[in-house]
Amino acid sequence: MLYREAGQFKTTYGADQQIFPILQDRIFVLAVIAAALLVVPLFASQYLYTEILIPFLILSLAAIGLNILVGYCGQVSLGTGGFMAVGAYAAYNLWLRVPEANNLIVVFLFGGLMSAAVGILFGIPSLRIKGFYLAVATLASQFFLDWLFARVKWLTNYTPSGSVAVGDTSAFGWKIDTPMERYLFILAFVVVATVVAKNLVRGHIGRSWMAIRDMDIAAEIIGFRPLRTKLTAFAVSSFFIGIAGAMWAFLRLGAWEPLAFDINRSFQILFMVIIGGLGSLLGSFLGAAFIVLTPIVLNQLPGWFGVKMSTALLSHLEFMVFGAMIVFFLIVEPHGLARLWAIAKEKLRLWPFPH
Amino acid sequence: MTVRSRVFDETLLAVEGISLSFGGVKALTDISFDIRKGEIRAIIGPNGAGKSSMLNCINGFYHPQQGAITYKGVRRSQMRPHEAAEQGIARTFQNIALFKGMSTLDNIMTGRNLRMKTGLFWQALHFGPAQREEIEHRRAVERIIDFLEIQHIRKVPVGRLPYGLQKRVELGRALAAQPELLLLDEPMAGMNIEEKQDMCRFVLDVNDEFGTTICLIEHDMGVVMDISDRVVVLDYGKKIGDGVPDEIKRNQAVIDAYLGVSH
Amino acid sequence: MLGPFLETLIGGLLTGVLYSLVALGFVLIFKASGVFNFAQGAMVLFAALTIARLAGAIDNKEVFLGQFVAAAAVLGVALALVGWYVWREYMARGGGGDERRKVLLLSLLGAVAGGAAAYAYGKGAWPMWLAIAATAAIMGLLAYAIERLVLRHLVNQEGIILFMATLGIAYFLDGFGQTLWGSDIYKINLGLPKDPIFLFEGVFPGGLLVDPGDLVAAVIAAVLVIVLALFFQKTRIGRALRAVADDHAAAQSVGIPLNMIWLVVWTVSGLVALAAGLIWGAKLGVQFSISLIALKALPVLILGGFTSVPGAIVGGLIIGAGEKLSEVFLAPILVKQFDLAGGGIENWFAYMLALVFLLFRPQGLFGERIIERV
Repeated sequence: MLYREAGQFKTTYGADQQIFPILQDRIFVLAVIAAALLVVPLFASQYLYTEILIPFLILSLAAIGLNILVGYCGQVSLGTGGFMAVGAYAAYNLWLRVPEANNLIVVFLFGGLMSAAVGILFGIPSLRIKGFYLAVATLASQFFLDWLFARVKWLTNYTPSGSVAVGDTSAFGWKIDTPMERYLFILAFVVVATVVAKNLVRGHIGRSWMAIRDMDIAAEIIGFRPLRTKLTAFAVSSFFIGIAGAMWAFLRLGAWEPLAFDINRSFQILFMVIIGGLGSLLGSFLGAAFIVLTPIVLNQLPGWFGVKMSTALLSHLEFMVFGAMIVFFLIVEPHGLARLWAIAKEKLRLWPFPH
Repeated sequence: MTVRSRVFDETLLAVEGISLSFGGVKALTDISFDIRKGEIRAIIGPNGAGKSSMLNCINGFYHPQQGAITYKGVRRSQMRPHEAAEQGIARTFQNIALFKGMSTLDNIMTGRNLRMKTGLFWQALHFGPAQREEIEHRRAVERIIDFLEIQHIRKVPVGRLPYGLQKRVELGRALAAQPELLLLDEPMAGMNIEEKQDMCRFVLDVNDEFGTTICLIEHDMGVVMDISDRVVVLDYGKKIGDGVPDEIKRNQAVIDAYLGVSH
Repeated sequence: MLGPFLETLIGGLLTGVLYSLVALGFVLIFKASGVFNFAQGAMVLFAALTIARLAGAIDNKEVFLGQFVAAAAVLGVALALVGWYVWREYMARGGGGDERRKVLLLSLLGAVAGGAAAYAYGKGAWPMWLAIAATAAIMGLLAYAIERLVLRHLVNQEGIILFMATLGIAYFLDGFGQTLWGSDIYKINLGLPKDPIFLFEGVFPGGLLVDPGDLVAAVIAAVLVIVLALFFQKTRIGRALRAVADDHAAAQSVGIPLNMIWLVVWTVSGLVALAAGLIWGAKLGVQFSISLIALKALPVLILGGFTSVPGAIVGGLIIGAGEKLSEVFLAPILVKQFDLAGGGIENWFAYMLALVFLLFRPQGLFGERIIERV
């Protein structure tokens, strides 16, 4: 009864093209954002911030970026970790070398832009290489970038171990230091980025991506330029991923080495996108939540039953459970959590009178 | 319906001596014909005669080894498909080539892509020029939706639509580009009588109301003879007939190759 | 200059044969089912771990579980095969009834008995041939489990979904193998000669240094590659495989059992993984990083084409040689020019090589030219 669209008539095309055409959806989303902004800081512990909320938000952003490329434009990429690294190290070098730019917003945007540039470069082969060939080709970027940040000393400011650290982070004079401040800053960034992503995918550019995804030959015949469209997707995708990488480095890790962005990171983000739902921004959030929470729950589980396990065994079991869950999920719902959500909503619309 | 006799003078597109082969297989051999502005031109022929290959050459998807195509007075031999689209050539496909993951509305909106110019920045904000542009083109697309009588499936993903409706949406996408030359590859294949009648009506209306030149491939001889102004007949990649429907019906080579067999 | 060059080249080619072997596992599965099997590397690791632990000296108790499983697998599979044969004969003579269930029961009993025997036998290393046989049986069971639990439920899904599923399998196997066998570094001793040999001492001063272990491994790998290529071309199952690869539905319609074919293919690539695991394990020791050599095989795939057996072979040789040559001759120049913290370019050089190559020939070395249609 509560969730009905009946009686909400759209009288202009503008009104029909809103992000959430149904009033209840709008209220719900605003309520979630308000709660995240106002209620969470009232009770959240340090652990909740640093181990759950901050990783969740940052990885959601990366997942949105990857979803644009894989879910909307249909170009499978296994190089996400590499692009996150580009964002992180570009941001680091700007922060390090240009003291005037010690403003997290500027630094992060720079990281995103550099990542977008690299993304365009590695996206060029996509004109000629398709499908899994492209997926493997994107691994080239992953390994090359891994190597680049491990070996080119200038990029890591000649630190002997290759590990770099940042301190003193602020934005427009607001010193971002405590977990709560970090959380709020990231939240704001992610909300804005999500709105931007939504605007892109629902407009002309998003349609061009989806056209290439669904049938690239037909798309070219009706006038889309394949290379330009794919490169736009690579650029926008890597932009988001680059920002996420810079955030991960600056606000989650503080000190890091290239290993933080290795191929396992790429897989992790890809899992989020697939489990959450290809071609769904909501799915990116759901997938990120799932991937962040699962290992935490798995680690707690034996304790709840009073079983003691060695850390090594626990990590092996984690691998097993994780792999099994991914397979299970793909079998049960290959379109991801977002589809389950949509089905639930559909049910709710009819509730309590299903006929 | 009677056979229409209309006269067209201005040549819109001329195909001159086109030959196309894949490896050793000759798909087209020395084909020449023209399409005049405002007419409905049909290409017929048995399966494998090279009809679809001919359309693919016209809109630049295949590049013939020999010959040239003159479109609006400009002669060209190589052209990318999107360049053809930019010059006002739109088409539908034999095996429906809709974007399956998108709604009817979005599919037809993609037909407007060449006219949508706002850049990444405004798109990202979805504000100002981007929003104005979106609404303006939405209006144009809604007119096409009304014209094709598919209002009720506006927001349905096309993958879920029945075949006949998909064909209609595909026509809508081609129309959204407001083409000068519309290529239709078997627009009525696999349809029942009613659907065929609807589709015929749409094709004739498009031709009458918008003055769009149409070149279509079709197997249903009744339809072809009724709605087309002139017909080209291909067989084994060669042209064996060209003329108004009445001439084609009397052409012995055509009857032997095609009409005489089963129709 | 020529001497060191040739030496590097030979070393590279010998490694390349091993890459071919891993790539071949990929190609077999991709050809027969269109699945891009990311778990191939995990299968290599799993096989290597199993052999190493069964054949190695066993001194701690956690291994016991693994030994039990291995023995159960050998006896179970053996009895199931015999039972299956008997059942088929029985059916052929017009028998009836629910004999299949009896066969299953028999093999299960055999498995339990085998496990119990291993338990009673206690600690101690198995002979290498038994370890290999046990691992082969386990790889067969694994293929069966994968077909039964995963692939069967994902028929007609898109390629990307299947690919993701194999990523899940890879994660699972990595964890499973280490849970079962532990995660230390183990040795596999095949008794390969260790002392380097020198070739063409008359032609080059000092001769060309070649590791005999590499040489033997390369020969084994080459023989396997040839056997598999023949299997694909000449046998009835090979023909069925090629038919399935061309068109699933069409193959099914002429009576080729799809599930059976998948089982065969996954078993064969499990055996290929076993061979690769054996050789790599003997060469480098068995450790987690073995599962990463699958990543080395990927550039081989894009170079050779996903569906081409000769492509996997030639691609492996090119990548192996290119990688070593670049590391020895190109890396020092780069390090000097750009003041790098070490070379290590072999991690990406193969990928770049393959990528650049693809730009000019998108279908790979031996792939068929793609004619696009609408």
